[in-house]
Amino acid sequence: MDKDDKNQQGQQGINTKVLKQGLCTGCCACVNLCPSIEYYKDKTILVHDCNLEKGRCFTYCPRTPTDFEMLRCALFNPGDMVLEIGAFKGLYMTRAADENIRAGAQHGGTVTALIQLALDQGFIDEAILADQNDQFLPAAQSIVDKDEVSGKSGSKFAVSPTLSVFNRISKTDTGKIGVVATPCQALALAKMKVNPVPEDKMRMEKLRLVLGLFCGWALDWRKLQKLLKEKTGDRKIKGIDILPSKYACMEVYTMDGTIEIPIEEVNTCVRDNCRYCFDMTCEFADISVGAARSPEGWDVDRGWNQVIVRTDLGGQLLALAREKGVLEFKAVPDKNIENLKKASAGKKLTCLINLSEKTGNPDDFIYIDPEDPVVRHIKKLRG
Amino acid sequence: MENTLRCDPYNLIIAGVGGQGNVLASRVLGDMMIHQGYTVTIGETFGASQRGGSVMSHLRISARGGFSPQMPKGKANMVVALEPMEAIRVLAVYGNPKVKVLCNTRPIQSVGVICGEQIYPEKKQIIKWIESLSADAKFFDTTKAALNLGNPVFGNIMAMGALSSTGDLPMSLNVFEQVILKKVPAHKVEINLEAYKIGKGMVIA
Amino acid sequence: MSSILFENKKDFEALLMGNDAIARGALEAGVNVVTGYPGTPSSEIVEQLANVAGERNLYVEWSVNEKVALEVAAAGSYANLKSLCVMKQVGVNVAADSLLHIAEYGTRGPLVLVSCEDPGALSSTNEGDSRPYAKMMEFPLLEPGDFQEAKDMARWAFELSCDIRNIVMLRSVTRLSHASGNVIMGKLPKSIPEAIFEFSGTPMDQMKGAVLAFPTLVDSLRRRQHEKLSKAVAAFEESPFNTYTGPQKPELLIITSSVCNLYTREALTILNLWDRVGLLKLGTTWPLPSKLLEQHLSVCEKIFIVEEGTPFLEDNIKVMAAEKAKQVGIKTFFGRKDGTLPCVNELNPDLLIKGINHILGTSVQPVLDDYSAEAAQIIAAGVFNRELTFCPGCPHRASFWLIHTALKLDNRSGFLCGDIGCYGLGAGPCGFSTIKILQAMGSGIGMAGGFGKFDRFGMSQSVMAVCGDSTFFHAAMPALVNAVHNQSDMILVVLDNSGTAMTGFQPHPGSPAGAMGSKLPMLDIEKLCRAMDVRVEVSDPFDLKATRQILLEFLEDKGNPRVLILKQPCALSPIRKGRKMYEMAIDADRCLADHCGCNRLCTRVFKCPGLIWDTIKNKIQIDEVLCAGCGVCASICPTGAITAKKVR
Ligand SMILES: Cc1cc2nc3c(=O)[nH]c(=O)nc-3n(C[C@H](O)[C@H](O)[C@H](O)COP(=O)(O)OP(=O)(O)OC[C@H]3O[C@@H](n4cnc5c(N)ncnc54)[C@H](O)[C@@H]3O)c2cc1C
Ligand code: SF4
Ligand code: SF4
Repeated sequence: MDKDDKNQQGQQGINTKVLKQGLCTGCCACVNLCPSIEYYKDKTILVHDCNLEKGRCFTYCPRTPTDFEMLRCALFNPGDMVLEIGAFKGLYMTRAADENIRAGAQHGGTVTALIQLALDQGFIDEAILADQNDQFLPAAQSIVDKDEVSGKSGSKFAVSPTLSVFNRISKTDTGKIGVVATPCQALALAKMKVNPVPEDKMRMEKLRLVLGLFCGWALDWRKLQKLLKEKTGDRKIKGIDILPSKYACMEVYTMDGTIEIPIEEVNTCVRDNCRYCFDMTCEFADISVGAARSPEGWDVDRGWNQVIVRTDLGGQLLALAREKGVLEFKAVPDKNIENLKKASAGKKLTCLINLSEKTGNPDDFIYIDPEDPVVRHIKKLRG
Repeated sequence: MENTLRCDPYNLIIAGVGGQGNVLASRVLGDMMIHQGYTVTIGETFGASQRGGSVMSHLRISARGGFSPQMPKGKANMVVALEPMEAIRVLAVYGNPKVKVLCNTRPIQSVGVICGEQIYPEKKQIIKWIESLSADAKFFDTTKAALNLGNPVFGNIMAMGALSSTGDLPMSLNVFEQVILKKVPAHKVEINLEAYKIGKGMVIA
Repeated sequence: MSSILFENKKDFEALLMGNDAIARGALEAGVNVVTGYPGTPSSEIVEQLANVAGERNLYVEWSVNEKVALEVAAAGSYANLKSLCVMKQVGVNVAADSLLHIAEYGTRGPLVLVSCEDPGALSSTNEGDSRPYAKMMEFPLLEPGDFQEAKDMARWAFELSCDIRNIVMLRSVTRLSHASGNVIMGKLPKSIPEAIFEFSGTPMDQMKGAVLAFPTLVDSLRRRQHEKLSKAVAAFEESPFNTYTGPQKPELLIITSSVCNLYTREALTILNLWDRVGLLKLGTTWPLPSKLLEQHLSVCEKIFIVEEGTPFLEDNIKVMAAEKAKQVGIKTFFGRKDGTLPCVNELNPDLLIKGINHILGTSVQPVLDDYSAEAAQIIAAGVFNRELTFCPGCPHRASFWLIHTALKLDNRSGFLCGDIGCYGLGAGPCGFSTIKILQAMGSGIGMAGGFGKFDRFGMSQSVMAVCGDSTFFHAAMPALVNAVHNQSDMILVVLDNSGTAMTGFQPHPGSPAGAMGSKLPMLDIEKLCRAMDVRVEVSDPFDLKATRQILLEFLEDKGNPRVLILKQPCALSPIRKGRKMYEMAIDADRCLADHCGCNRLCTRVFKCPGLIWDTIKNKIQIDEVLCAGCGVCASICPTGAITAKKVR
């Protein structure tokens, strides 16, 4: 880093190196740390200038230069590392045993069931989940009562201000906190947890569980709003889902049936920053959950989840779920792990290509160290 | 009329910050001079008075008249500063090696100081600077004395009292009284007289 | 405390401000009707006359804007009354349409227009010069050259207007209007006016006919207007307000007017050049007294024209010299155009000294090189500029905080169009640099109305405008009507601080009393906006939470204009001055100071002068003397280190 860079490790750095570069994920790791940065309508906004040369916003942001290898070593067992998909203790296919949960969930309801269980069994005292209003604008909420968890099921396709709520409640609340996080949010939490500034140490000790979501990309809320309005007019929307790539569409479920929006149109709503994301399977979580894939086809798969266990804690939670009968399990097809690795490596490669295009330098990936072993591996795969 | 001015025209600047009562001081002094047959021109820069800006009044006192409301550069005979930094600002343009200064030492901070972008120099340093830019500089804390009277704004009248004791201008208490009677409400006359007297006692020649 | 300004005796001498002198002159002329719109440096004239309205039986009003002010004054003239209309330079532009027609027709009772102008833009957004109006619209122009003349010429302006039966303009400048000097007073007359508007005569009967500007009459009206001008010139040739000082055959002739007269005199005295240089001071600057000029031009080859503003005198004298080239010979001119004087900004004695030295090659007066150098060093070492800011407890600080925040959150590169008033400081740091366009009275709304229509060209920025309560009536209403009618996507925020705060709380149509202090009906901005059928909300800018919500909703609610009225009296207004709403206190332990988590939001960003940053303890403090007790800083402090307790 040159001298200028050293003096820009606060909000100014966030501005020049993240926001202006179009890298901000909207994760809200920097929100509610101070009054100068706010979240509004799925965007992170610098409301007042701050001239500190070092700030927590910069330190915790998942898009400021990050020592991934150090984080991996600090959080996971080095023996579990799989270059394409991160720490790996096992891959499972699960769904919530409770039909009611499944009915309201995005896929198999695994996340909802696991969070309920974690609250019930005292793994955590509260969980930060994403909610949304009738215009699909996400809002995050801390839930203490396990009966309220299923009310927050379902994916919100714009980013949720989850970490702003984490920053707020971790200051005041005393209990153990669980967070359902997208990969960028999980990365920010990892940076906070491994390297907190001294005054945040206590706060970070409250973070107990990170339940990760697989993520291909998120949508820009304002663009999504516009698209939905165009396609559905005034019809009331119950939910939306993105189908696997071969269906090439987004389904919008309305009171008078399903409307399909071609994926090319949806793609125009994807947040720019997601093109620079290095993580599909939420590598910095204790346990990561995504949609299932199997030869049985989407109509069956859409009711199931694929789960990667990454830490002992994640393993314990899943084992308990099996023991209590909270989740149902089925065999994972042989090829799934390879397919996951391929898909994940694909996202990583696209990320590196896009970043180097932005910098005009094949070895400058802004926030990712070109010497990182995963980067080297991906570059090798590409040949 | 006998011309008792130290020089003609006698060029005086009252410098301060908006809200310190610059205008009243210059008007009172002007009226006192006219009362005794002199001709006065006062030029005032008070556009920014309420909003914390620098304010100054140029007084040209003469037996003849016809002087510009803007004093030529380097021509001040006396600078009465209600605020120390303003003394320097004015001296830099209108001062000369022979200029005299009467200066209230109590600073008024700028927004820049409040928000930590500017640093107000040490009192000792300011005094040294003013001394080096004038032939004869006298300092006092009129703000403190005025606060004792109940309101820092009386500092302006005290400064006029102090000016009267230099003997440069004919400024008897009697004339002051006649002028102030017409300038302030009746119940404020007494306290203004008091302020004038306190100011008069502040300068030990 | 009675003002000596209005003492009804003769021949006494007093120290008068230029504006007071003009007011006195009008009184000595027996003025009946006084109108104006506040604007520095003109406001004191109307204020002073309002103070004696009862005593002297005047009708004084602060009009809604300068055009209306001139029309009310013209009505006075057509009713055979003596009328005075006062404004600053920008106002003449507002009044110009009516001015053109009044000048074309002429007057009955005398009508004097006073324009107080501001060379150097000491308290203006421009250096507007209205003198060219006199030439363009063909009426006489007077410019007093000192304080006594300010009074005497004001009185004479009424006489002249009465003689020629047309409007007369008296132009002053800041350095005269706001400076003071000795003035010897004249008598105050007894007049018992009888107002009547006659229309029984033919249209060309100026005193008795209907006042009509018909196309078919224009030719005759214009001929009559030119006769009036000739009459004025005749008077000007003899006028005692045109004076010459100096030798019979000067080496250099300086022609000047207004306060430049005093600068020039001072320069000539300092340079000791009165025996070589002649000074022709003109009090009547349009139409020019050609015989007088011819006489002076013919004895000197070098002519130096000294004036502020545009080269009005310079151009007109050059034209005259060309016309009379045979009689006066070839001249060399010096002035603002050839660079002898700077072409912009106000003048002063030093610039005159420089200019004269340049022409005559006389020696420069001794510069105090060592002294200046030392002073410059000291200034550099420790003297800072005092940045202008909103007063402690000013509602505008809170309003701009809110607008700034809302536009940032809205995240569409939104911007705020402003106009003229205290709130113009919203373009600077104390207003978080929120205003991005700042020009004329009410222009922000007009422009916002334009920007709000450009979506068809891809403009997607959010557009907001602010205006004050006084400006709302003055110029914003037609612009708002325009935006409403044309369905422009914009938000107007009216900063209603109950008065024309910047110029000293003159009342406006929304005020409960007029210039003369009597009770008047208040026009309600909210109702006016509702009548235009736009969405209107009213809020208190000190209630940050509620107001922020409204602003954010407005920004989402695209489409037609929306109006938010932010009501909170000015901190200096009689109802708020010296009265705290909250007693402020500090909990220093909670103060995060310059640590990450706050970094002194209160003093670094919000910057209310009622707060002090204690650099030694590195903690916030309240300045008991300055704090106005508005409580806003407690609402912005993220940790509760500043607390507010309601007073009573
Ligand atoms: C933006 C986004 C993109 C995704 N992309 C993919 C993908 O490409 N491939 C894939 O396999 N899976 C993807 N997922 C994950 C998938 O949609 C499901 O969330 C996941 O399979 C879990 O299903 P479930 O039935 O267990 O979830 P549920 O039981 O319905 O629970 C979902 C939980 O996630 C929380 N949540 C919802 N939206 C967000 C959000 N935006 N941020 C944080 N928390 C949230 C909810 O509060 C709820 O607790 C994505 C999810 C999101 C939010
Ligand atoms: S921390 Fe998150 S929200 Fe903040 S700048 Fe970084 S990516 Fe954006
Ligand atoms: S309460 Fe706070 S913001 Fe208001 S005037 Fe006092 S210090 Fe300023």
